[in-house]
Amino acid sequence: MTAETIQNTAKTFKFSYPTCTNEELLFKLEVPVEIPHNGCTRELVQRVMKMFHIPVYLEDELNEKLAEFVSEETKKFHNERDAKLLDQLKNGELNIEGIVKNWEKLFKENVVDFAEQKGSSDEEVFAAAYHKLVHSPALDTILQSEANYAKIVMDMLNNRDEDIAGLTMLQTEEMEEKMRLLNTLTTEEEINELAVQHFEQQSLAAGRWDSQLDALRHAQRAAHRAWLMSAIDDYQTDDKITPSNSPLMSFPAELPPLALSPGLEESFTIHLGSQLKQTHNIRLAALDIMHLCSVQRPHAKGFACNVEHASKPTRCSASWAGAQPALALYSSELSGSVVLADALPSRSPLLRSARAAAEHHFPDVETQLRHITDAITEPVEKRNTERQSSREGEGRERGRARGACRLQAGDVFVTRHSNLADAHVVFHLVADDESLKSGDMTSRHPAILGLRNILKAACCNDVTSIAFPLLLKHELTEEMTAAWCMRRAELVLKCVKGFVLEASGGGGADLRTLCATVPPDIRPALFASLAALLPTIFRVSGPVRAKTTQ
Amino acid sequence: MSEEETHKFAACTFFAKNHPGETCGSNGLPLTPSSVTILGRSQRLLTISHSNLCTYLDIIRGKHERIIVVAEVLGKSLAEYTSKFSVEEVINIALQLTNAMQFLHKNNITHRTLSDDNILLDSAGRLKLFNYGLYYMTNGGSEVPFPLGLPRYLSPETILNVGGPAADVWTFGIILLELCIGKLWNALKPGPILRRILTLVHANNPAERIAREHDCYEAYKKVPENIRNIIEKCLKIYPSERATFTELHEELLQMNTQTPLDIKKPRGLMGCKLQYLYYWWQLTGGDIQAELKKNGLIKNSPPILSMPIAILLDGCTLGGKTGALFDRRIAKYSLDLLKNRLSHIPPQDFYPLMHERKTNYDTVALPKIIRERDTEYQFYRLLWFERLLHGYPYTAQYIRAEAEIDIPPLVRGEVWAALLGVVGDIEEQYERIDKETPTPTDRQIDVDIPRCHQYCWLLCGAAGHRTLKRLLKAWLLTNPQYVYWQGLDSLTAPFLYLNFCNEARAFACLSAFVPKFLHKFFLKDNSAVIKEYLAKFWQMTAFHEPDLATHLHEINFVPELFAIPWFLTMFSHVFPLHKIVHLWDALLVEGTSLPLFMGVGILRQLRVTLLESGFNECILLFSDLPEIDIGECVKDSIEMCRSSPKSISYRRFTNEPEIKDPMDIVEVPMDVLLTETCPHLSLSDFFSLVCQDKCCVVDIRSNLLYEKSCIDGSINVPYSGVHLGQHELRALGLQPYKILTEAIKMKKIIVVASAEDETAHLFSEYLVKCGAPRVCVLHGGVSALHSHVPSLFTVPAKRNGPK
Repeated sequence: MTAETIQNTAKTFKFSYPTCTNEELLFKLEVPVEIPHNGCTRELVQRVMKMFHIPVYLEDELNEKLAEFVSEETKKFHNERDAKLLDQLKNGELNIEGIVKNWEKLFKENVVDFAEQKGSSDEEVFAAAYHKLVHSPALDTILQSEANYAKIVMDMLNNRDEDIAGLTMLQTEEMEEKMRLLNTLTTEEEINELAVQHFEQQSLAAGRWDSQLDALRHAQRAAHRAWLMSAIDDYQTDDKITPSNSPLMSFPAELPPLALSPGLEESFTIHLGSQLKQTHNIRLAALDIMHLCSVQRPHAKGFACNVEHASKPTRCSASWAGAQPALALYSSELSGSVVLADALPSRSPLLRSARAAAEHHFPDVETQLRHITDAITEPVEKRNTERQSSREGEGRERGRARGACRLQAGDVFVTRHSNLADAHVVFHLVADDESLKSGDMTSRHPAILGLRNILKAACCNDVTSIAFPLLLKHELTEEMTAAWCMRRAELVLKCVKGFVLEASGGGGADLRTLCATVPPDIRPALFASLAALLPTIFRVSGPVRAKTTQ
Repeated sequence: MSEEETHKFAACTFFAKNHPGETCGSNGLPLTPSSVTILGRSQRLLTISHSNLCTYLDIIRGKHERIIVVAEVLGKSLAEYTSKFSVEEVINIALQLTNAMQFLHKNNITHRTLSDDNILLDSAGRLKLFNYGLYYMTNGGSEVPFPLGLPRYLSPETILNVGGPAADVWTFGIILLELCIGKLWNALKPGPILRRILTLVHANNPAERIAREHDCYEAYKKVPENIRNIIEKCLKIYPSERATFTELHEELLQMNTQTPLDIKKPRGLMGCKLQYLYYWWQLTGGDIQAELKKNGLIKNSPPILSMPIAILLDGCTLGGKTGALFDRRIAKYSLDLLKNRLSHIPPQDFYPLMHERKTNYDTVALPKIIRERDTEYQFYRLLWFERLLHGYPYTAQYIRAEAEIDIPPLVRGEVWAALLGVVGDIEEQYERIDKETPTPTDRQIDVDIPRCHQYCWLLCGAAGHRTLKRLLKAWLLTNPQYVYWQGLDSLTAPFLYLNFCNEARAFACLSAFVPKFLHKFFLKDNSAVIKEYLAKFWQMTAFHEPDLATHLHEINFVPELFAIPWFLTMFSHVFPLHKIVHLWDALLVEGTSLPLFMGVGILRQLRVTLLESGFNECILLFSDLPEIDIGECVKDSIEMCRSSPKSISYRRFTNEPEIKDPMDIVEVPMDVLLTETCPHLSLSDFFSLVCQDKCCVVDIRSNLLYEKSCIDGSINVPYSGVHLGQHELRALGLQPYKILTEAIKMKKIIVVASAEDETAHLFSEYLVKCGAPRVCVLHGGVSALHSHVPSLFTVPAKRNGPK
């Protein structure tokens, strides 16, 4: 690195001046001065003079001498240190190759002039194109076609489920038939054979469907991308209102509008900060957080016919809900959501929901999760063994044996999506169910610390609105009494308040909207008391008052 | 017009380093982001001015740790000149270069990144170094992820990761050599270049060796011997053997045959200070980031593409962002925008005369915040203030008069110092104070500073913390009668914020501010001072906001519960800096009694909420003060302050000389003051109010005494006949009611005159409870007035004949 590792040394500054009665006899002054000296030498002179009661007439001389001393010594300090290294270099005692390689790497990785020429990545080009198009009149065409793609996938999924269900039924019948004839016409061996056969059929069917689905997704993705890229060319060359050759299918998409039941909801505008106030919105909502991460079903028709059906706001808003994530996808106002998850990424609760729809922008959930599992193995293992060794003695062997590379409570893994209802980014907070049940959680609990990391990461990555489970639980269980909930909510909110304040100092995006969710089946009374808790923790902005003229 | 004339400044940008992992320092607080550290360090560069250095204009902290450096620009960089320079030209370049470099080294700034693309040269042969402080502001490169400098200019010891200022001499040598024999190691990658530089240690004469390597030995030999000498003095392997820039400069001066250039200073807009031009340019809508984006220096990749994939509990982030590359290019800015905006301004307006009759601008009527954003208005104001500040301290009264209108933000620090009467060699005075020796209060200071206005990026960095601590220590040392009260840090913050690079001025301002506004507030036992202040504040509230005062009295919500930090820190603890500056602008001009009315102004803004709140709600409300419209608050409080007679806000604990004249005395014993709701009015203020017909006198003596002799124009409401329980003005009788409501409507001041203080006090309190504003008590009562101003007395006309 270019940073100098400066080892300061103390040098003694000597100064002498004659005593008043005898010119020969000298007062001697010795002051240790740190070299390199960071500070003003003139100030040091003042301190020295005050401390040793040095006569003022010596001030100028002392100033001059000390400044000279420091500059000389600093020069000497640098020169001697450099000379030593240069000597070593001359004598071949240094690892020249290592040093040069290090510099080479630094220049190559950090400075444009020396970096490998690389243009924008494919991803970036597509992102720019998509972002431009969704902010053009082409928006509704895009949404419709995406909805259609989703519809086709859904249909195929339904077909698959039907097919497999049919197969299972057939097999069950056959098996039952065989079982009935056991010991008369069939033997156990035959039954076993049949079971194996059935199993093979099942996996064959599943495999067939999976590969079909994969092929479909790939085809869709490719088609979608190809169309978008050609559309952007059209769009740029002549500003046509709607891009031509849209791949809209002939059949209308008949999807039910998104049934996002709002349930209980309350929102506040709050001010944070003691002197400089920042405004945030905080929303308390009783809904299943998985709802936010469910597959969006923009009602394509609703959007297309919003002109005629202007009197039906629900349908239009449903499609608007679909447009919003698309509009913001490549912007710097992302929305995210926090989901409590298991330590194994492959067991993410998202898997079921997000898989259902076409993902045209990012690798699909499974691939992302697999990639995460692979990527985290090494650093997590390193961390875990380090942690183990610092906790010397207590069950070292045991720890190594199981899950040395497992995520621990408080760790977070992140997936990206373009097809979810209200989340571009999902933060999976690994949580330990048992400890979350406890009534006396502290602010040092791993889940809380994980939340802090999430909020910080959100700020750093332009996630401006984020939903999190207020009680750090997705469902209501019996030990969650009203008192328990209040205590938990208070702790989480207070911590979140601190984290948001802290994160905003980091120089990223502002967390504009915070959405605290509670399980949908919460009792209204409890919800009301939680809503009443909010203004006691945050400063809620007062109503704007019209000025009364006196 | 050529680019050289219109492009006066340029910007470059880079990212600061991200702290890896858990970001907590040893004190348990989060680590300061690198960009904040850079911002703090670079402030010093903004003050450096030298004819061969590009003036730094601004350091901006963008989103996600981005730093943007804005600085003066001139001509073209050496790298852009394609033709070869003549010997005279080379000497001229070297001469100015050494001049700049010796200045930097004298100021303990190592350049370290000197290269042909940051040495700018214009067609007239003037030379300036651009962004010479990169190494300095990044703390030796430790706050940025990229390596500093270009490989071919690195000295051998720099490559070995050490090196002091002498490394610049080597680089200078290489540049000079390049000027003579052409670009070195042109086609090579960094690795081979560095290897070649390192092998130079074995050469006796590195310069010759380099020339040989480039097959330019002949050409090198043709270079005049004196230049070769200089090059060889620089290109010594051991730093101790290299010449210093001072020596080189001397030598070059000898060699130089050309006379120094005499360039006429441009007039008009281009003759204005560059800092002003930049400031006006921004006001006209100039956007630094836009130009950078246009030139591809700021690339915005969608954030979703660089999302991390996992964050471990200890904060370690996996995947995600790969740091952006450092682009050495710069973006130049055209001043055309500003020129067009100000094109209609006649040339004489650039040189305002102090005694000229001033034109008034319509803008003055607009709110301050808008005026501060108006290009043309700020143009006139800045030039005018520049003039005035030039003449300080002789122009002190003009400055005060102008500051009453407003203060241009760009020169606020200087203007405040002028308003506070800061004169003399403040640097030397400050230098003499010992700010280093540890004292017992250091601990508390260390605890408080990381909590003081930390949203301000200047104050939250290491540089800000250090300077604030030095200021506090210096102040405590020079004021041994005082102790450190929490809040002193907030009080110092605005001065530091405005004078970040001028510690001495910040200190001088603080030293002048405290005796003026907070006399004796920082005594170890300041209870009497604070009590008096709060009592006076409460009286002013009753004077201007009787309803509110009555309500707060009733629910027993006393100022001790909320207003101590207001006054102890002159509101600097409760408001953000951008509001404090406006508040203090007014404070410094209006004087010591304004803070009392500011307090009332704040209450007035919260009036509606307060009136419907009980004790607990009030406590909650003030624990975290809601947003206050500071412009409105300041306007209100000035209006209140000016409309109130001076004597009613009299305090004993001020820095002003004791009042001797009985006409002016309003002082009452402390215990009495604490019980009184209404302030006392001095006889002389009363006299002037009477003369201006601005008061309504209520004489509460018995009607016998009243009829004998009374104050001309007064009404008589005998105290004995008043039912104190009935809070209705109507209850006083029809005649007094009519007169009093009329007086209230006319905004007259209601003066209660009596024979004894006790009854006056009770009656005035009664009036306040009735909701009457502007009630005060005549100090000393009727008898005092009679003995000092007998001329005001008359015998009332008998109304209904004798009883």
